[in-house]
Amino acid sequence: MSAPALPALGVMQLWLHVGWALVVAGGVTAVLARLTTRFTARVAVLRAVAAALAVWTMLPGPYSSAYWLGLAFQAPSGVLALVCGLLGWRALRTTKGQAPAGEPAGVLGLACVGVLGGWVLLMDAFAQWPWAVYGWGFGRAALAALTVMALLPLLHKDAYRRATAWLMPGALLLFAALRLPTGNVWDAVLDPWLWVFLHGVVLRAAYRRWRH
Amino acid sequence: MGLAVAVLALDAWVRPATSGPALAQMPAIAVHGQPVQAASLQRVAMGDVPMPPGTQAAHASSLLPMPAGSATALSLFWFSGERESGPLVQIAATQWDRASGRWLEPRFVVNRETMGAVLGHGLRRLGNPVAWMDGQGRMHLFVVATGWGGWAASRVLHLRQSSASQALQDLAFEPVRVLPLSWLWNTSFLVRNAAFPLQDGGMVLPVHFELGIKYPVAVRLDAQGEFAGMTRISAQPYKLQPTLLAQSPSDWVALMRDERPAGKITAARSRNGGASWEDLPDLPLGNPDSAVAAFGLGPQQMLLAHNPTPEGRAKLDLSRSSDGLQWTWQQTLRQGTEEAEFSYPAMAWADDALWLAYTVDRATLSWQRFAPGGRP
Repeated sequence: MSAPALPALGVMQLWLHVGWALVVAGGVTAVLARLTTRFTARVAVLRAVAAALAVWTMLPGPYSSAYWLGLAFQAPSGVLALVCGLLGWRALRTTKGQAPAGEPAGVLGLACVGVLGGWVLLMDAFAQWPWAVYGWGFGRAALAALTVMALLPLLHKDAYRRATAWLMPGALLLFAALRLPTGNVWDAVLDPWLWVFLHGVVLRAAYRRWRH
Repeated sequence: MGLAVAVLALDAWVRPATSGPALAQMPAIAVHGQPVQAASLQRVAMGDVPMPPGTQAAHASSLLPMPAGSATALSLFWFSGERESGPLVQIAATQWDRASGRWLEPRFVVNRETMGAVLGHGLRRLGNPVAWMDGQGRMHLFVVATGWGGWAASRVLHLRQSSASQALQDLAFEPVRVLPLSWLWNTSFLVRNAAFPLQDGGMVLPVHFELGIKYPVAVRLDAQGEFAGMTRISAQPYKLQPTLLAQSPSDWVALMRDERPAGKITAARSRNGGASWEDLPDLPLGNPDSAVAAFGLGPQQMLLAHNPTPEGRAKLDLSRSSDGLQWTWQQTLRQGTEEAEFSYPAMAWADDALWLAYTVDRATLSWQRFAPGGRP
């Protein structure tokens, strides 16, 4: 197996704050934007909430939400941070009733792979497979396989115009350069919270397909 | 396509050179030029370890031999505080002073608030420490640090000596990182037994998972203390706290605590330097769900400190073996009433003697020293 490379402590400290700032500020803003109240319909309110949450997460020590989120969940995956950042960004830019256009099929396919991959990693955490799958995430082969998989959605026509198609490649680039968040590529593309979120994405898509 | 090339090229640039195969450093302990025989060891001294003022609990000692030129022979680390898993628990340390022949006044060297502040995230509780000296002579500590929950929410915090001096009054540590061992929010791995030294100056750190089920894992670190990979020792859900012995540089045996009622000491074997493992039949030694500690003196000279009775931890024995699997009782180290506890042994060799430390009633630590032929 190729030797692992783990992130430097300084990089991990920075990512703990930046990663959770994207997740908390982006995620909460995206949820608020979907609530149909007069208060949350105002973009200025959403921007203020997002800024406040981001500042709170960037504070040092126990005053920061990142300190407590890190205690419980360590750092988020690159994909989760980028997903939440993108959702928050969209919420701040789009007005009510302008739902983002549908995603390319490849991205939904990646979400399905993420759901299955999460189950594999969860079972692996409880030693239910004959091989230790998590350990493969420190090697070069897993990164190569995930890179190929991440680029597949971009093969669809005009897919490169959609930000969602760039989330996983972006997280892998972050991983290759800085080893974030842990030096294990599974942690870079999928964490348990993202896995839970992907269940919702896949179930919603399945429900829509069933209705139509 | 360009992006894929960029990702893989960046990865190749960042990634260190591949470690060679792991080969165990074969122990060859000799006194006055004579290899030490396990059967020749006799107890020459014993006593209690001084505790930091105001502490009611002490547990999980780890012994580390000091360099030959040091004023102290051994460092001893353990967790101590108001109670096990209490918020005030810290990692305490003392050293055996060669000149005075006694343990120095202990002090705390690791505090969860200080370490959490450096890491940027909280550490809820501290637990077992394991000490190791790397290829450059720097001390490392691997400490159980819990997240949101009890011991099942544990992680392994890797600390490295930050002080220029290793003298007890100067000794300080800084975090390297929390070792990445699990996808599930990096829970629930714990460390307990001593590092297993490798020929390249690195080591194998035995750890175990314990959320619901238990299973043992070997974590490899290189001579600088950098993470170099992990291998599952067994998937059997009741084996924990592995301790490793070398039959040869590439043939290793792992002995483990057994969580089952009326358990036995459990075993696994690797024939390829820890690259893969196979389960072995349980040893005929009882195990009351209690930690065991193995130590190699030389080829075919191995020692095991263990609680032999399935009823509890009131008796602590020392046994010897030539292969790590067939054990002969050597002597009883401590025995008390039914409620007594002598547990979590740790062993090290320093100043021509075997040193053994263990927990007494989860409140204090005791130590014993053994020398070949009983000559101190």
